[in-house]
Amino acid sequence: MIALPLGVYLSKSRHLKLVSIIMGLAGIIQTVPSLALIAFIVVIFAIISLPTIGTVPAMVALVLYALLPILRNTYTGIRQVDESVIEVATGMGMKPVQILFSIELPLSLPVIMTGIRISTVWTIGVATLCGLIGAGGLGDLIIKGLRSIQIDYLLAGTIPAAILAIIFDWILSLVEKWLTPEGLSGGVESRV
Amino acid sequence: MIRFDQINKTYPNGLKAVCDLSLEIEEGQTLVLLGTSGSGKTTTMKMVNRLIEPTSGRIFIEDIDIMKKDPIELRRKIGYAIQHIGLFPHMTVAENIAVVPKLLKWSEDKIDKRIDELLSLIGLEPEQFKHRYPAQLSGGQRQRIGVARALAADPPVVLMDEPFGALDPITREQLQKEFIEMEIKKTIIFVTHDVFEAVKMGDRIALLDSGRLQQLATPAELVENPKNEFVDQFLGQHRFQLSLLTRTLKTIIPETEQTASTCEGPVPLQHLRAKSSIIEALDMFKKSGKTALPVYQKRLFIGNLQKAELLKAITGILGERGGTT
Repeated sequence: MIALPLGVYLSKSRHLKLVSIIMGLAGIIQTVPSLALIAFIVVIFAIISLPTIGTVPAMVALVLYALLPILRNTYTGIRQVDESVIEVATGMGMKPVQILFSIELPLSLPVIMTGIRISTVWTIGVATLCGLIGAGGLGDLIIKGLRSIQIDYLLAGTIPAAILAIIFDWILSLVEKWLTPEGLSGGVESRV
Repeated sequence: MIRFDQINKTYPNGLKAVCDLSLEIEEGQTLVLLGTSGSGKTTTMKMVNRLIEPTSGRIFIEDIDIMKKDPIELRRKIGYAIQHIGLFPHMTVAENIAVVPKLLKWSEDKIDKRIDELLSLIGLEPEQFKHRYPAQLSGGQRQRIGVARALAADPPVVLMDEPFGALDPITREQLQKEFIEMEIKKTIIFVTHDVFEAVKMGDRIALLDSGRLQQLATPAELVENPKNEFVDQFLGQHRFQLSLLTRTLKTIIPETEQTASTCEGPVPLQHLRAKSSIIEALDMFKKSGKTALPVYQKRLFIGNLQKAELLKAITGILGERGGTT
């Protein structure tokens, strides 16, 4: 919800330098292993004396982590729309808003959806790690299992998490198919 | 109909794309903006639908300063076709064509009818092509649809920026011919760097160089009377060929024969028109194998042209060019 509009805004921004800095930053943050990110947030929270345990910091970490793939993909997706298509659309008298919704978004949909799917799957993964900071849920079970080396707990935690990830990914792939306009799906016979 | 008044375009980095351009285009005429890359021809055209704004000067369409109009409204009444076509890949052919009519809030009925009309006009069977996607079309088909899309809302003015440029030469020639045969009665501004395309497509040609207008003339006049050295060099070694393309039979048939007689009878299949070019006449002579062909002006017979006369005229032109290579 947050990343998509932000991504759109960035893709239109004229301040190319600023944008590339932000994108670079986003890229770096994304490479930080999620565990480290969580730890990082815990530390920051401790400094600004917010609760370091429980769902709040977990949510922050999750939101941040989920944001980035969607942001990057939205940005990239919109930038890669063929220039001449945009030129013609403007020349024909479409308003910028109309161009965004009827042309740019449909054409960047595959890329954006990929971003969303990646984000979703990773978020589920990161969520389990949040068990470390006492956020509860499946993560908790995994951690307990690891600590006490009891397979039952481990399995009870990991299997649902994995299944959850797989199901969500599958649902999103269906959504993607449903949203993708026929002309782009490659399912129609294309002439080169 | 369209008037450029002292138009200038200078970019922030100092580049002068268009300098002091003034010209007028009459309604229903096709003006070709001809020039090499960087001559300012595309820039000039884009100022008409305000994709580029002039640095100074004004442009009038039907005596209204276009700066006083809302650019979006303006663009919806001007057809726009570009070299890379830019068909929307996620829309069907019908949806592509319907874009501007929908923006103008036409009724669905009207839009449907118009789509069928246009597809027939460009030679694509409506039922077959309406629901296809651009990816399923050949280059020539896409280009035709680009043109149809520009004409969709029946705009009085149409801008075409090297619309056939992305095609192979054979398809390009085919489309040029089809476009001329469509006899579109609109005010058209056509940009090209190809002098042969220019003389084919234009009622008048504006030759530009480095943003300045070098000559504004009919194709025949441009070829016969180049105004300055630049024009001369631009025509270069093609002048002879261009002469053949632009000179009409009217210049060959002796004055005395040009009295239209009320000759009865139907116009024979193999005939020439007074405004046929020399090349067209040569083609007809070759095709028919005759030594003399009747010439008509509108439906009136004005005389016979002997093949020998035609050849003599051509030799005459060659003689005129004797000085240049």
